[in-house]
Amino acid sequence: MEKESFQPIQRNFLSYQRLERKQVGFWQDAWYRFRSNKGALLGAIFIICIMFFAFFGSSFSQYDYYSQNLLEVDQGDSAQHYFGTDSLGRDLWARTWYGAKISLLIAFLAVALDVLIGVTFGGISGYFGGRVDDTMQRVIEILYSIPNLIVIILMLMWLEPGIIPIAVALSITGWVPMARIVRAQVLKLKSQEFVLAARSLGASHRRIFIRHLLPNTVGPIIISVSFSIPSAIFFEAFLSFIGLGLRPPQASLGVLVNEGYRYLQLYPHQLLWPALLISLIMLGFNLMGDGLRDALDPKMKR
Amino acid sequence: MNKKRLLSVLAFVLICALLLASCGFEGNAIKPAGGDNRTFVLAESAEPPNLDVSKSTDEVSSRILNNTMEGLLRQDRNGRPQPAIAAQLPQVSKDKRTYTFTLRNARWSDGKPVRAQDFVFSWLRTLNAKTKSEYAFILFPIQNAEEYNAGKVSASQVGVKALDDSHLQVKLKFPTPYFMELCSFTTFMPQREDIVNQYGSEYALEANRLIFNGPFTLSNWEHEASFTLKKNSFYWDQRKVRLDRVEGKIIKDVASTVNLYSANRLDFTEINPEFAAIFEGKSDRTVIKEMASWYIEMNQTKAFFKNLNIRKSINYGIDKRSLTKRVLKNDSVPAGGLMPTHMKGDEKHKFRELSPDTVLYDPAKAKQLYAAGLKELGLKRQPDRLEIVGDDADSSKKQMEYIKEQLRKNLGLQVEVTAIPFKQRLQRGKRQQFDLLISGWNADYNDPMTFSDLFLSGGSYNRGKWSNPTYDQLVRKSMTNPNDQERLADLMKAEKILIQDAAIVPLYYRSRLGIKKPFVKGIYWISTGSSYVLKETYLDWKK
Amino acid sequence: MTFYILRRLILMMVTLLLIITATFFLVHSLPGTPLKNEEKLPPEIRDQILHEYGLDQPLYVQYFRFMGGLFKADLGKSLMYDGRDISQMLKERFFASAFIGFQGILIGLIIGGGLGILSALYQGRWIDNFATSTSVLGVSIPSFVLAGLLSFWVGVKWGILPPALWGSYAHTIMPSLSLSVAVIAQFSRYVRTELVEVLNQDYIKTARAKGLSKAAVIWRHGLRNALIPAVTVLGPLTVNILTGSLVVEKIFGVPGMGALFVDSIINNDYTAVLGTTIFYSLLIMISVLLIDILYGWIDPRIRVAGRRGE
Repeated sequence: MEKESFQPIQRNFLSYQRLERKQVGFWQDAWYRFRSNKGALLGAIFIICIMFFAFFGSSFSQYDYYSQNLLEVDQGDSAQHYFGTDSLGRDLWARTWYGAKISLLIAFLAVALDVLIGVTFGGISGYFGGRVDDTMQRVIEILYSIPNLIVIILMLMWLEPGIIPIAVALSITGWVPMARIVRAQVLKLKSQEFVLAARSLGASHRRIFIRHLLPNTVGPIIISVSFSIPSAIFFEAFLSFIGLGLRPPQASLGVLVNEGYRYLQLYPHQLLWPALLISLIMLGFNLMGDGLRDALDPKMKR
Repeated sequence: MNKKRLLSVLAFVLICALLLASCGFEGNAIKPAGGDNRTFVLAESAEPPNLDVSKSTDEVSSRILNNTMEGLLRQDRNGRPQPAIAAQLPQVSKDKRTYTFTLRNARWSDGKPVRAQDFVFSWLRTLNAKTKSEYAFILFPIQNAEEYNAGKVSASQVGVKALDDSHLQVKLKFPTPYFMELCSFTTFMPQREDIVNQYGSEYALEANRLIFNGPFTLSNWEHEASFTLKKNSFYWDQRKVRLDRVEGKIIKDVASTVNLYSANRLDFTEINPEFAAIFEGKSDRTVIKEMASWYIEMNQTKAFFKNLNIRKSINYGIDKRSLTKRVLKNDSVPAGGLMPTHMKGDEKHKFRELSPDTVLYDPAKAKQLYAAGLKELGLKRQPDRLEIVGDDADSSKKQMEYIKEQLRKNLGLQVEVTAIPFKQRLQRGKRQQFDLLISGWNADYNDPMTFSDLFLSGGSYNRGKWSNPTYDQLVRKSMTNPNDQERLADLMKAEKILIQDAAIVPLYYRSRLGIKKPFVKGIYWISTGSSYVLKETYLDWKK
Repeated sequence: MTFYILRRLILMMVTLLLIITATFFLVHSLPGTPLKNEEKLPPEIRDQILHEYGLDQPLYVQYFRFMGGLFKADLGKSLMYDGRDISQMLKERFFASAFIGFQGILIGLIIGGGLGILSALYQGRWIDNFATSTSVLGVSIPSFVLAGLLSFWVGVKWGILPPALWGSYAHTIMPSLSLSVAVIAQFSRYVRTELVEVLNQDYIKTARAKGLSKAAVIWRHGLRNALIPAVTVLGPLTVNILTGSLVVEKIFGVPGMGALFVDSIINNDYTAVLGTTIFYSLLIMISVLLIDILYGWIDPRIRVAGRRGE
């Protein structure tokens, strides 16, 4: 028993050393762990499939997302219209995939903004520490206690409808968690030897931050992103439900779900496809997020 | 996660999806939501802000007031003003500027008599600038009313006077042919000075801070949830009132309202076009005719829409029949003019019967006009980023999507849809920040003037800034013209000019949809369509 | 500890002041006026009414007037529901929201906790699969879709519960259920992860080896240690419930805060927007503070003062 309880620590310590020396090893290891997680793999496959159809789905059908045919409204699925048509006679196959594309675009854009602001803010705050950190932390605490929904709705009332305004509104408070994660990571890393080594070799702040600290925070950032994307999609759907957002005939999955919801009693298929797609995207990202967390953050592995 | 577990997760998702897809709708056996024939249950989509006769502007308040209060006159089911608190129709002087009303022996819900002074008090209170009434302007036909509202003259100079407890004399600024219609409007209802003073700033904010003289009293008002009307035992015509109770439920989501209706928890509600198909061909479906006209305004401060051919091409390029029949699906009437179908003309005829409109739609001609317009303007193609602006309600968005597609298909004109909240739409309109603007106007009273004066040059509702001197002259003359026949002819001529000059693109005369249980009888709507009258409503349900 | 709470309270005040200021100028810059009959009002009369409300004065004057009222604990009167006290309205609305919210969280914690414990104990068995499916589905279905489906199926087709409206206890069940699904999903995942981790710890093995029954071990050692970190999710969950309640209230016709907030923004009801914003912010700040304090209290190893910013 005594022997055994010492050995694993030894092994861990060694692998840790190796890992620091050779970064590729870590990613290979992560990829291996990710691959062996069936759920995560399935999630990734879901997402890849959905993205494929979102960007190329319309080429499987002769219809586009905006052309109306008032003589063919509210139809069920057929050989022409795989998902049927909506109340203006537009092809729901084309609209659903187009909606998925818009939803994903909004989510990616919002999350990209989150990462950009969050990494910069959190990085600076964590790296410089001291008074800078203190002030910046107060800003974060303040932003954290603003109800994000209120800010988002107010901003959308203020901005013009469209994809970019929604993404901007979503990321106004959305970057805060990202900043917290990055800051915590940087705080932990900056006192480690390799940073000290780099600094004593005369590396600039910028170089240390970009070359040494940032790569080591990528893991937590990726995990966080994989959970932020579905939540952005969710939020966008929610905004569509209260009628704020895009320029029709632009449609996101949220818009389609909102439209379909109104026809639930008569034409449930109009709700079915977009709702199923939203759920699958969420499912995909959540499964993948779980897998990524296990792969990139071995301590969390259960 | 192992394979087995994954499979069961997926199976679960699939089962849920199938459940969703497979279930159809089965109706329940219908019965009154209140359980018997004495209680009528209906839904409203908003909370009434307050029930102050002087301040109320919204439809829900107007509905409660129309059923708990009574003015001098009340509209019958044909939209004609009938004696109510006034014992008979007023005596009108020869110059058509003095109206004398004789009041009947009516009582307030606390048993006190309704006196002519109650009307004087109410109207002067509304006109007092301190009251901040947003509907005071509807009283402006009364002599010196506008001046008093602006603080230029004193209250005693306003042309309304109680000759004694039961005689009311009203002096008008100009002969106003629609003054009798106005007398049934909520803002013209009486108020009790002692009650208003007793509650001060709390007046009309709760059910027990009000007093009534109509068929029902408001007995309960749970904010944002419900209100209850009870039969008023002091009402002068209570023999005709057949309901004991009316329950109003406040619920904002129409899908939920339809659910409640289907579960027999409502007897009547209004619905949106999205739900029309559920009740297609069923006796539940009720069409509520509004006196409302919807049209597109074109921004004529921009050179592109200053061109007559371009404006005309847009009118010819939109199929209004399909719009009403297939998109709106609410029995709105496709429009070729401005005046809605049941707008009054002369004593016997409707305006539209005397001056029929032609709904224009001709894609080929539209293309021609459009090409001609571009040529006149010296343009090869349309200006970039044209915008069509409208409300962000679901049905309004759909309408704009339709119009966008029509213009693209029929003219090759690309426009962007900007769906924004109501207040923003108003501001955009006011500041000419649009290319095409979807606008509508609900009549306040049954007379063409309520629409005609919208498009006077420089008028604040004329957002497209269209201007035509002949039109201005005809309408201005009609404002004071005591000769009814000539006035009507002038207004008809004016409408023709408006359409020929393509000031606007008429879309439709709007109707709204309601659903009511087949056993609901005797309910009707006032001519502007804003309120139902429950005075003679009854439920005819047998087990 | 007292110092820590005091410091947090001061920061809260500053935060609130900033939020109020920002919201004030933001809502006042929205297009249009708060007037209800804006479409029909002739411009001269509109200006006159704005003057009567004092809305024509420079913005900073209005700002200081509002702040002055705030110091006297007066949130002002609503412009949309003219004459009604904002504080009175908040009081009326809060009850409904709080009731369905708390009930939703409670249902979520009980069911979610139960599912989490069961699936941790029977890893890989059918109950674990079931719990995982539920939780994945729970986070994957938008709450408004769920609420709509519930209203239609349970309310109309099965006729078990009222499809919407407010008034009796039966009316609160479906709104709370719709809200609880997200809580069940998140909480059961969290509890499962934590419990699995705790159950693999040496001291649990020791306890088992000592001869304690499985139930006793889980109850006395496992659960307690697993639930401590779980408390931290309460904060974000409360905030989520707020968001969810907005649509759920709309769908079920609950006379709550959510409806008030959306309506007041759409109608430019400046005072009501400010009132609800202040209220929501306070709610979030206080619940975050309470959870931080609770956290330190449950787990004395964590010194609250030392957790700053982490």
